[in-house]
Amino acid sequence: MAGRRFEDAVMPHLDAAFNYARWLTRNDVDAEDLVQEACMRAMRFLASLRDGNPRPWLFAIVRNTWYSRQSRPGMAVEHPMDMQSRDDRPDDALDPEQQLAQQDTVARVRRALEALPAEFREAVVLRDIEGLSYKEIAEALRVPIGTVMSRISRGRERLLETLSVQSAPEVML
Amino acid sequence: MTCACLDRDLDAYVDGELPAEADAAARTHLDGCASCAARLRQRQALKRALQAIPYFETPPGVRATIALRASRMRSLRRLGLIAAAAVVVLAAARTVTFLPLRPAPASDAAQALVDGHVRSLMADHLLDVRSTDQHTVKPWFIGKLDFSPPVTDLAGQGYPLVGGRVDYVAGQLVAALVYQRRQHVINVFVAPSGTATAGVAARSVRGFHVRRWTAGGMWFSAVSDLNEAELDAFVSALRSS
Ligand SMILES: [Zn+2]
Repeated sequence: MAGRRFEDAVMPHLDAAFNYARWLTRNDVDAEDLVQEACMRAMRFLASLRDGNPRPWLFAIVRNTWYSRQSRPGMAVEHPMDMQSRDDRPDDALDPEQQLAQQDTVARVRRALEALPAEFREAVVLRDIEGLSYKEIAEALRVPIGTVMSRISRGRERLLETLSVQSAPEVML
Repeated sequence: MTCACLDRDLDAYVDGELPAEADAAARTHLDGCASCAARLRQRQALKRALQAIPYFETPPGVRATIALRASRMRSLRRLGLIAAAAVVVLAAARTVTFLPLRPAPASDAAQALVDGHVRSLMADHLLDVRSTDQHTVKPWFIGKLDFSPPVTDLAGQGYPLVGGRVDYVAGQLVAALVYQRRQHVINVFVAPSGTATAGVAARSVRGFHVRRWTAGGMWFSAVSDLNEAELDAFVSALRSS
């Protein structure tokens, strides 16, 4: 059992796992349960990480845990979106008017992303918020890279459609 | 390159994921095509907005719980208890979740005890009090149960006591004493019993062996994946102690 320690290999990615879990579940309570259960699994499966990259490995566990939780009797399949407000930290480099515009944009983009079907939502989250490469996303989702590309592309397409209904995209973004 | 060609690669271009040659071709096209360049700017703006969404931060309590579990898991591994148990736990995880919290019919008793045993092998269920000293383990139960289980160390006979916990088996609050034989865990469940039976009843469920007897107004059940000969030797050592 001499191998990597959970604390060294996995704990540095806990925030990433929680953020991803929160985007999958779209509410705090489920995200907390999910990330705890996933970490318990990660502890038991730690040997399977070997010298691999912990981030996609951990995301894959979070994701599998979420889908197996959803198929469990008594578990709600999809919660109604909870539009909890969070601090949308504006960029300090912008003047106040720009800051407000940016805050507003970010809030709307966040809502649009939250409303996206799960398969597009997670692909976009893993790429643009978690910053994974296409190869890492393919590992986490266990799909070919071509599928990753098309999910990201269609996800962004849908986001732009949603946002352009609200206002002209050039003005909006 | 045509607009349609670029269209397929636009997102990979924005993400810097195109191979060098395709990346250069896309750049050339974008320099000379206003409509594709406009779509590129839109994509880039969307990407910036997505990147500006703040991270959901792990609640500190969640982080602390996970760190605690990791350290407990490692100390159990050090005891050599988890490696053998992990496989069983995975197979049994589903059963364990739905362990009935009601008095089980007699035929299900052995099943419930095995479930209790398997559940105990999960990282944070095996030991609430960790001690090889019976004088530490016995008083630990006071105030947690309305009876006082007899606690005996059998290290001299090759079955060291490693600790205990309060558990819930087949609708009853029970004391669980944990003994170890090489890498095998033996759970001894103890609770008050209104009936007295002679001898030791033996059952096997899913590769686990169960030995059940009564003494001094209590029932005892020893559960383990240890071979039956050694488990029987353990039970007779415990009964004659
Ligand atoms: Zn073009």
